[in-house]
Amino acid sequence: MFLVAFPLAAGALLLAIKNGRLRNVVVVAAAVVVASASVATAVTFGNGEAVFFGLPFDLPASLTLGRLLLVAELAIGAFVIVVSIQNRRILAPLLVGGQIAISLYLEISGKLPEFDLSRLFWFDKLSMIMVLIIGIIGTLICVHSLGYMRDYHRSNPLIKGRRTVFFALLFIFLSAMFGLVTCNYLPAMLVFWEITTLCSFLLIGYTRTKETIGYAFDALNMNMLGGLGFSLAILLLVNGNQTLDLAELTAHAAPAVLMPALALLCLAGLTKSAQMPFSSWLLGAMYAPSPTSALLHSSTMVKAGVFLLLRLSPAIAGSNLGTLVAFTGMLTFLFVSLVAVTEQNTKKVLAYSTIGSLGLIVGCAGLGSPELIWVGMMIIIFHAIAKGLLFLVVGTIENRLYSKDMENFDTLLSRLPKVSALALTGIAGMFIAPFGIVVAKWAAIRAFLEIPGWQGAALLVIMAFGSSLTIFYWGKLLIKVLSMKCVDDAELAIEKRVSRFEWLAEGTLAAGVVAVAASLGVISDKVVGPQALATFAGTSRAFLNIEPAMLVSMIVAVLFLPVLAVWASRQRNWCDEADFYAAGRTTSPDRTMGAALGQTRSVTLRNYYLEGVVNGALVFRAGTVICGAILVALIAVGMVGR
Amino acid sequence: MNVNPVVYGVLFVFLAPVFGGLLAGMDRIISARMQSRVGPPLLQPFYDLGKLLQKNARQVNPIAEPLLLGHVGFMAATGAMLLGGTDLVFTAFVLALAALFLVLAAGSVNSPYSHAGAERELIVLLASEPFFILMLAAICKVSGASTFGGVLASPVWVAWQLPGMLLAFSFVATIKLRKSPFDISTSHHAHQELVSGLTSDMSGRLLAYVEMAHWYESAILAAFVVLFFNWAWPLGLGVFAVAYLLEILVDNSTSRAKWQLVLRSSWAVTLLLSGGNVLPLFLLK
Repeated sequence: MFLVAFPLAAGALLLAIKNGRLRNVVVVAAAVVVASASVATAVTFGNGEAVFFGLPFDLPASLTLGRLLLVAELAIGAFVIVVSIQNRRILAPLLVGGQIAISLYLEISGKLPEFDLSRLFWFDKLSMIMVLIIGIIGTLICVHSLGYMRDYHRSNPLIKGRRTVFFALLFIFLSAMFGLVTCNYLPAMLVFWEITTLCSFLLIGYTRTKETIGYAFDALNMNMLGGLGFSLAILLLVNGNQTLDLAELTAHAAPAVLMPALALLCLAGLTKSAQMPFSSWLLGAMYAPSPTSALLHSSTMVKAGVFLLLRLSPAIAGSNLGTLVAFTGMLTFLFVSLVAVTEQNTKKVLAYSTIGSLGLIVGCAGLGSPELIWVGMMIIIFHAIAKGLLFLVVGTIENRLYSKDMENFDTLLSRLPKVSALALTGIAGMFIAPFGIVVAKWAAIRAFLEIPGWQGAALLVIMAFGSSLTIFYWGKLLIKVLSMKCVDDAELAIEKRVSRFEWLAEGTLAAGVVAVAASLGVISDKVVGPQALATFAGTSRAFLNIEPAMLVSMIVAVLFLPVLAVWASRQRNWCDEADFYAAGRTTSPDRTMGAALGQTRSVTLRNYYLEGVVNGALVFRAGTVICGAILVALIAVGMVGR
Repeated sequence: MNVNPVVYGVLFVFLAPVFGGLLAGMDRIISARMQSRVGPPLLQPFYDLGKLLQKNARQVNPIAEPLLLGHVGFMAATGAMLLGGTDLVFTAFVLALAALFLVLAAGSVNSPYSHAGAERELIVLLASEPFFILMLAAICKVSGASTFGGVLASPVWVAWQLPGMLLAFSFVATIKLRKSPFDISTSHHAHQELVSGLTSDMSGRLLAYVEMAHWYESAILAAFVVLFFNWAWPLGLGVFAVAYLLEILVDNSTSRAKWQLVLRSSWAVTLLLSGGNVLPLFLLK
C-alpha cells in the first residue's frame, strides 16, 4: 500500500518543484525510499505462499470502493476527453466514453457484487518479481532522467522544457504500476491500467510537436481499446454472476461460460504488450525521451500486458483461446525479428526486440505449462534489466553523438569507451549465449518438443528462425560498437560530459545484469520455479538443470566483451603502426586512406540490411494482417466459448 | 565401460584439431588431384599452422586478437560441451556464439574487404543457424535423449527417422564450411572480389587462430553426422568422409554464389526439408 501511496505523493510534490537542484534531491531521495520499500516488501511477503490483504485502514461508510474507483475513472475519462477535444481527435473519447458508460451502468444499477476487501491485494512471487523490477529498475531510470533530460534540452533547444511534469509523471506511473501488479480486484486493476496508459500518452507527447502528438494518440487509442476490452470483460463477468477476484478466476482451467470475458482480457493484454496487430504504437512511442522508453516501453509498462496474460495462463491453457494467444505472440516474435534486421534506427531495433521478447512471453503464457511459465518469468526478469540498461545507454549515446542511427555508432569503442562497455553488458545480457534469454529460448524449445500435433512443429520452426534473426541484428550492432579507430583527445573528451546520474543508473544496472547471470540457479530454485509450480496447482516437476559448465560459460560470456572493451580502449601504442588493407592504397589507423591526387579520404563502412531479400515494411504489414486475423478468430472463439 | 562424458569433452579439445588438420590436408591433396596437381604433403596444414604461429602478427587493433581467441575458445567449448554431455539444443546456441566472435573480430578492423567479409559471415550465420537448432531439436525428439551419449545409446535409428534433415545437413554444411558456391565471406584465393574477405587484415598467429577454429568446426560437424548414425558411429564418420569428398568436388566445380541466393536457398531448404521432416514426427506422436 505504501508502495502505491508514496510515489503518488512524491509525484504531487514534484509537480510543485520548479527548481532544478531541489528536484534532483527530491527525486534521488524518493527513489531511494521507493527502492528500499520494494525490497522490504519483497523480503517480507515474497518468501512463502501467496498472501492476500486489504487496505490498512477502513473506508468511511459513504465512500465504497466502487465509488472511489468510479471517481478515478471519471477523472481519467474527463481528462482524455478534454485533451482529445483540444487536439480534435474523435476515437479516444469514444473508447473512453464506452468505458465510462459501462462503469456508470454497473455502479448505478447496483449490480456490482460485494467484494471481500481483505482480498484486495494479491502478493505472490510473480508480484514480487514485478515489484522489484518497478522498485529498483524503475527508480534507477528516474535518477538517470535527471542527467538525461538536462542534456536533452541542451541539444534540443527548440523543445519547451516541461521537466516538472515529466518527473511527476514518472512517479505517478510507478505508483500505478505497483498497484497494477499487486491488485486482485479486476475493476481496481483496470483503474491502475488506465493510469499507466495515460502516463504513456503524456510522456510520448512530451515534446508537443505535431508528430509526437500523433504517435501519442496512436498509443492512447490502442491501449484504450484494450481498456475497453477490459471493461467489457468486467461487464460480462458481472452479468454472468461470476467472480471479479483475479486469483479465483484464474485458479483452474476456465469453463466455457468464462471464455468470452477471458478473450477480452487477453485482448487487453495483447494491446498493452504491443503484440501484432497493435505493434505500431510501441514504435511511435520511441519518439519519447529515452528514459521513458526504458521505463514504460521496455522494463515495466509493456510488462503489465504479459503480466496479465501470465496471470490468466492457468485459465486459458489448453483451450483454443490459449493456443491462439500463443500463436499471436510467437508469430509477432518472428515477424518483428525479421523487420528488425532491416531497421537502422537503434531505438527502433530495441523496440522490435522488445516486442519480440514480449511475444515469446505471450507464447509461453498462452500455451501454459509450468516449464513455459518458468520461461516467461525468466524473460521478464532478464529483459527488464538488460533492455532497460540498453535504452538508457542509447539515450546517453544519442546525447553525445546527436544520432540514433546505428551506422553512426561506428567505432563507438574508441570514441565512448566506458559507454561502450555498458552497452556491451546490456547486449550480452539480451542475447549473448548462453545467458538469460538464450537459456529461456532453449527451455522453450525443450517444452515445444513435448507439444503434440502441428502446433509443436510450427512453434519449433518459428523459434528456430526467430532466434537466428535476433543474432543478425544484435551482431550488426556489436560490429558497430566494437570497431575501433585511433582518436585524439578532443574526441575522447566527449564522454566526460556524461552526468553522474547517468553513470550511477547505468553502472548499477550493468552490475545487476552480471549479478542476475551469476545467480540464475538461485533465482530458478527459490523464486521462479516455485511460482511456476504454484501457478498450476497439483503439478510437481523438476526444472531445467543448469549445469556448472553452463553457469561458468554464462558468466564468462557476459563479462568477456565488456572487460575486453575496457582493456582494448586503453591501448594506445597500436596507433603508430596499424594500417589496413584497402587494395594497396596507403591507409592510416584513423580510418582514412590515400586517394587520387594525394588527397586523403575517410573510409565509411556500413552494415547489410538485407535489401532485396527482406522488405521490412511489407513484412510488418503482413504480420499485422495475419495476427489481426488470428485476433478476430481469438475473439470469436472466446465468444462462442470453445 | 562407464566413462564419464566429461572425459570425451576434454579429449575433443585435444584431438579435434588433429582430426580437422588431417581433414584439411586431405582436402588439399584431393583438390590438387582434381586440378591435375600433386598437392602438398598430408601434414602441410600443421606445418603452415606452426609457421603462422612463429611469425609476427601485424597489429591491426587491440581487440581483434582477443576476439579471435574467444572464437577458438568458444568453438572448442562447443565441441567439448557437445561430447561432454551438455544438452544438445543448448550447444546450437553456443555454436552460434562461437561463430559470432569471428564476425566481430573481422568487423572490428578497418579494411573494407574484411568488413564486407564480416557482414557476409553474419549472413552465413543467419542462413545456417535455424537449421542447426531444428536439427538438434529433432534429434532429441526422435531419440528421446538430450545428450550426445544419450542419443548414441538410444535404440532408435536417427537417420531413418530424419532423412530430410540429413539431406538438408549436406546443404547447410557446405555453407558452414565456407565451401564454394557458398564461400561468400572468405576465400583462400586472392582473385575473388573480396580478396580474402574476413581474413584480409589477419596475419601471423591471428590467422592461425582462424585456422584452428575452422578445424574444431569441421570436427563438430563430423560429430553431428555421427548423431544421425547413432547405431554405429564409425558408419557416421564414414558417411562424413564421403560427404566431404562430394563437398570438395562441388567446391572445385562451382563458382561463388551471391549472398542473396545463399540466404534464400538455405532458408528454403531448411523450411522444406527440415520442416517437412519435423512435421510428421509431431503429427504421428
